[in-house]
Amino acid sequence: MSAALARLATPTGPDGSRPVIGYVGADVPVELLTAAGAHPVRLTGSPGEPSTVGDRYLGTGLDPVARSVLTRLLDGAYGCLDGLVVGRDCEASSRLFYAVRELQRIDPAAPLPPVQLVDVLHLPHRTTTRYVHAKLTELRATLETWAGRPITGDDLAEAIEEHNRLRGLLRRIGALRGRRPAPLTGTDALSVVAATTRLLVRDACALVEQLLAGKLSEVDGLRVFLTGSGHDEPGVYAALEEAGLVIVGEDHDWGDLLSRRDVEAPTMLALAERYQHNGPSAPRASIRQRAEHTAEAARTRGAEALISYARVHDDAPPWDFPAQRALCGLPSVQLVRQPYGGLTEEALAAVAGLRGPVGAVR
Amino acid sequence: MSARLASATAATAYQRGWFADLRASAAEGAPLALVNADAPQEIFRAMGIPYVVNQWWASIVTAKRRTQDYLEHLRERGYPDYVEQYSSVSLGSLFDQDPASAPWGGLPRPSIVLAETTGDASRKIFDVWGEQPGITFYPLESAAENDVPVRWWELMPRRWEEAVGGDRLDLLTGELEGLIRFLEQTTGLVFSETRFREVMALVNEQQEWNRRTRDLIARARPCPLAVTDSIPSVMIPQWHRGTTWARDAAKAFHDEVAERVRTGAAVCPEERARLMWIGRGLWFDLDFYRRFQESHGAVFVWSMYLAIAADGYLRYGDDPLRALAARFAAFSDQLYTPPWSAEWYVKEARHHGVDGVVHLVSEDARGGYFTTRALEAAGIPVLELRADNVDARGADAASITHTVGEWLDHRVLARG
Repeated sequence: MSAALARLATPTGPDGSRPVIGYVGADVPVELLTAAGAHPVRLTGSPGEPSTVGDRYLGTGLDPVARSVLTRLLDGAYGCLDGLVVGRDCEASSRLFYAVRELQRIDPAAPLPPVQLVDVLHLPHRTTTRYVHAKLTELRATLETWAGRPITGDDLAEAIEEHNRLRGLLRRIGALRGRRPAPLTGTDALSVVAATTRLLVRDACALVEQLLAGKLSEVDGLRVFLTGSGHDEPGVYAALEEAGLVIVGEDHDWGDLLSRRDVEAPTMLALAERYQHNGPSAPRASIRQRAEHTAEAARTRGAEALISYARVHDDAPPWDFPAQRALCGLPSVQLVRQPYGGLTEEALAAVAGLRGPVGAVR
Repeated sequence: MSARLASATAATAYQRGWFADLRASAAEGAPLALVNADAPQEIFRAMGIPYVVNQWWASIVTAKRRTQDYLEHLRERGYPDYVEQYSSVSLGSLFDQDPASAPWGGLPRPSIVLAETTGDASRKIFDVWGEQPGITFYPLESAAENDVPVRWWELMPRRWEEAVGGDRLDLLTGELEGLIRFLEQTTGLVFSETRFREVMALVNEQQEWNRRTRDLIARARPCPLAVTDSIPSVMIPQWHRGTTWARDAAKAFHDEVAERVRTGAAVCPEERARLMWIGRGLWFDLDFYRRFQESHGAVFVWSMYLAIAADGYLRYGDDPLRALAARFAAFSDQLYTPPWSAEWYVKEARHHGVDGVVHLVSEDARGGYFTTRALEAAGIPVLELRADNVDARGADAASITHTVGEWLDHRVLARG
């Protein structure tokens, strides 16, 4: 592992020089957080820790990632947050927001930061653009209140430029994964993306540039494209790659999907359009959009097989799979109702079948 | 015990006749819509496009014990049979190869399906509808608001702009304008605003009757009707709202309840405990609602169906399309988003003087903690029942009955 990769795998946290704003979901326009002078930190769950408190408030029928995030918020695991912005990238995030808002109402002493919902919607219509623009304007006003200063046009333009630059660098990492042999594992690629959501954008850019300038290794294995749930931690990637696979691409927003689209102008409208049309994520895009994207992305990366991994109570991916399988035309395996951060024995056995002769698995 | 309400019998008979006519007109090629329960149906009403409500059909399928057959059709096609079954069962019925054996002769094939992109799976279910030949899916956004109105049920009839928020109303109004244009172009039918205003006025009249009926039942001691009667009496007209039949059916329901109250009729003469049922109807076991009358004198006096008709639909105003948007832009909040929902359930529990609440909590995203907590904080005992309302797999009727009985004995009746 290169030094840059090692540093990205263990990024340093906020240094206390600026407000820290946590955010949930890739629908949160992080450019506005940066423009407000904050240090944005995308919140992750922790599958190795109990989520008893989150289970209590959210119920056990919800994606365990959200239950873990709420537990960690209440435990103070993210340190002192000056604010929390929650998107509606999936139903679990919506429910997480409602729970935080309600806990603050019924128990003002609960150790929770001020929270703001940003309702970015995704139907490809002008009516939605206008709505998202209004919601981003609302968020901007809230951030200005939290930061105690206005977000100027220059602040916004600079933040958009920096985040576009980071996305471009991440796309270069993604393109490398399409090489044969792959120059880095899927686990490492996932860690790089995750690290950039915890670093200041300019620090993230510097480290990714160092990574790109350095020497990478060669990774052998059956080249797999991973669809389905998002992965905010590396457990599933590591387990799959330990089984002899190399994940060369994915279509979730802790991976390739995060950097797929740039903001096309330094304006609030362009920012709204970017987030409206971002994706296509499993919870928010149509089955057809997903299938077309997955097939094209898998082809571009030279994938030899398709794995659909759906976490327990992550309800969208199982609906996408029949069309994805048909359009990709690759040997494929579907893993449903999987535990957070891992795979069942049955799932690992199904994955092992992928390494047999092509056509030996469904 | 009182006889079944005439209004319930009449509504069910009307629905059977209506459905037979609908099947006949669909067979002749007339347009037909399938719409989600929380989608704006009034536009179809105004344009004369018949529609079937997705969840109503799921309730019929479930009551006829066909849910597992239709979930099997989804499994065969690679779709999950364990997600949002209440919304997906109708899709399974689309794949029924033997419609002659289907409930009520089978669901005719729609030409358009309308739904909000609620949750993570509902949109996918409608995507599958939209991939079938001859069917178009028209999706609507499902928007959410950062802020919460205080006592939304007081604001909604006339101050809905304040309760729902302008951004959400702008969005849905714009989408409805698009829907009207789409329907005009694809069906050749005309949208008359004059007719639409009539529809909206009839809906408000209907819900005003429902509000009076709800208030009658809330005040009545003992409870004059079974909740299994009130559900068809309010919901079948609800699916026909915007018609004179529906308005008159709501009035007839009210008048019948008023007469029962006047004569002191009782669904359970030995009424000892008044219960509230929070959640969707338990369609696979409707006898559940009367099971505890004889053993415990416990009567379900409340379900959301009449109460949300009373509080959730009234929208007055000079701009009927925006008023329609206001009816649905926050509909899900009213029932499922804390504190909107939790405060409303507490208000209704107090209004009806309930002694306990049975809260159906399914293994899905909506959860139940904040509703249960709010009711318990108000001093009302709550039993959370874990079950799905249409999928009986995993539901043990004997265990549920035992659990409710124990709870009644030890938490409700023990309070004296």
